[in-house]
Amino acid sequence: MDNLCSDMSDTHPLSQAIIAGKRKEIPALVQECLDAGESAQFIVESRLVSAMAVVGEKFKNNEIFVPEMLIAARAMKEALKLLEPMLVEAGVKPEFNAVIGTVEGDLHDIGKNLVAMMWKGANIDVIDLGVNVPPAKFVEAIRENNAKLVGLSALLTTTMPAMRETVKAIREAGLAAKIMIGGAPITTEYANEIGADGYAADAGSAVDAAMSLLRS
Amino acid sequence: MSRDRIIRIESEAGGLLEIRPQADADTALSKILAAHGSPLNTRCGERGLCRGCEVRLGEGELTVDNRTVRAPATVRACRARPGGPVTISIPTRSRIEHRPQIGETFEIAVPCAHDPLFSPDGTRDTGFAVDIGTTTVVVMLVDLASGEILSRAGGFNAQIRFGDNVLTRIDAARNPEAVAAMQTAVVVETLAPLLAQACERAGRGPNRIAGGTVAGNTTMLHLLAGVDPAPLGVAPFTAPFLAGRSLAAADLGFALDGLPAETPVRLLPSIAAYIGADLTAGAMATGMIYDDAPSLLVDIGTNGEIILQRGGEFTACATAAGPAFEGAGLACGTRAREGAVSGISLSSGSLETRVTTIGEVPVPRASGICGSAYIDFLATARAVGLLGHAGRFEADAWSRVPESRRLVDEDGARALRLGKNHPLFISEVDVALLLQAKAAIGAGIETLLEIAGIRAGEISRVYLAGGFGMHLNVPHAIACGLLPGFQPRQIRVVGNTSLAGALLALLDQGTLGEMESLRERTDVVELNLIADFEDHYVEHLMLP
Repeated sequence: MDNLCSDMSDTHPLSQAIIAGKRKEIPALVQECLDAGESAQFIVESRLVSAMAVVGEKFKNNEIFVPEMLIAARAMKEALKLLEPMLVEAGVKPEFNAVIGTVEGDLHDIGKNLVAMMWKGANIDVIDLGVNVPPAKFVEAIRENNAKLVGLSALLTTTMPAMRETVKAIREAGLAAKIMIGGAPITTEYANEIGADGYAADAGSAVDAAMSLLRS
Repeated sequence: MSRDRIIRIESEAGGLLEIRPQADADTALSKILAAHGSPLNTRCGERGLCRGCEVRLGEGELTVDNRTVRAPATVRACRARPGGPVTISIPTRSRIEHRPQIGETFEIAVPCAHDPLFSPDGTRDTGFAVDIGTTTVVVMLVDLASGEILSRAGGFNAQIRFGDNVLTRIDAARNPEAVAAMQTAVVVETLAPLLAQACERAGRGPNRIAGGTVAGNTTMLHLLAGVDPAPLGVAPFTAPFLAGRSLAAADLGFALDGLPAETPVRLLPSIAAYIGADLTAGAMATGMIYDDAPSLLVDIGTNGEIILQRGGEFTACATAAGPAFEGAGLACGTRAREGAVSGISLSSGSLETRVTTIGEVPVPRASGICGSAYIDFLATARAVGLLGHAGRFEADAWSRVPESRRLVDEDGARALRLGKNHPLFISEVDVALLLQAKAAIGAGIETLLEIAGIRAGEISRVYLAGGFGMHLNVPHAIACGLLPGFQPRQIRVVGNTSLAGALLALLDQGTLGEMESLRERTDVVELNLIADFEDHYVEHLMLP
């Protein structure tokens, strides 16, 4: 798949537009796919997933930087906005689901939103709880959705203790969800220290980390 | 004591400095270097989270996080412990500069009465005004009777060793001992020596001081007053105090030979946790609070602060720009100081660079690139087609750049040198960081104007304060999207208005009441809770 995707000439125009972050071209390209008889599920699973795989790969290889990644994620969001209602209508559920949110006391969500978008781009059903999420709300959402994975984000050094509290609450509730953490001040050491299952340094590696947790 | 711990430090000029540390084996290399006069940029508080203190290990080995690392390698000095002899070199970006240039230029645009906060009597006729920045602190000495500025002194805030931004400082202030240590750092190690220096320059003894005023961001004022800043670090960001307050020098541990213990120190009012007394001071000193027509004050620092005035009503927000415009985190970045490149232009055909420096230092000897030059680069490189919308070098323009002005590192990242084989360069990674900084400011302005229901064209004046000092090229700032939708005639560059406001309060105490009322009248917008902010932010990541 890697070879296929890195060769842009073989990539579908919709995937290319997402990779290049051309949001304005997205609605017409999605419509073209639908007109050609592709199902919403097929468009997500082939066009979108392959585009975000390229974006993640390029980011990991330092071929693109944060601004381009955010611009690509926004184009992806545009495509999902059109496709998600159709998926719901068709009753299509991705294989995996995950809960994500920014921990209590922290209002920053650009990093969390980017990870959510990358996960959606890997065909994970993402339940986004937003910012300033108390531990109890994470617990409730994991239980309600029977989520296999939960992502906790903190941008502020000052809200890292809330992350520890949230991990503790999830464990004490006896939930089986794998816990992944991330954010500017977070390190692997911190993830180990507070008993999280995984850590990703950036949105690019967040997909691989999530997949290895989900498949373990 | 371990065997032969010798640290040789190679300087860029080829010299060698040798130190034999006395500290125990568990002491981090960064601490040893600081103790021997080579402090590093330990901006994350020596927690191994940033790359500010990276050094190059040329010979020997170091223990890094309990693993042995052999030369050649690049290591974070805060994680590294020397066992035997080592040779290291310290990149310029990892050093804390010894002589900061402080933004000392400003203008006070508001009419000012002669009504000093501390009335001069026969023996006490001198006052001081202070701007406490997260990074730099400036003290100004004033004759209270005449209003004349007698002297200035500036330096780094000694709290830097606890972290380079307000959040790492709040995080470091975990217990009462740490709060006290940070108060000592700013009062005893920073303010007292600067005031002594200012007194000496003015030829006046501290015994002539009647009192002083202090402006700064909310966190700095808490740490100055010795108040636990923890609530400032977590939502809903409730400040333990915002109103102006008066403290006695002795309460702060502020002692200077001859300075009376009861000398009053007046802290200016802040508006919110992230909209500090520096902005209150600026709104007063620029006179924007009295403008008839709508006006906007944008104070660009590590935290951008923005306040809009319309019909006597005020709305303000804070936006996290990061320290890129102050030169931090960029490959060749520096603050606006003598020897820094302050302006860059690119010719359209041959992509030749033309460079200006502060203090007219010859270009080959320029020490770094400061924020205003980076803004020039974003605007002109985009205009001549070298940079694309997303901040990458465009293939055909890049191919026209002569080999001697290109730099490609081992990861394949590309950079443009400022001249033929010039050591200073701007990389695509730098551009990505600059785009994030300018997007935070640009999107902050746009979101605030939208909430207030006003367009950029309807603003009569934009006061641009802080960070850049007076070097900023306004048309370039507009062209790169830092000030979206504005025309050059609307913009006025006003310098360090925090210090200007502290001075104003000292000379005309009536302004203190006005600042207090501004605090009460201002609506604060939390940008992270505005859905459109992220959309604007991503839009502004691109170059127009």
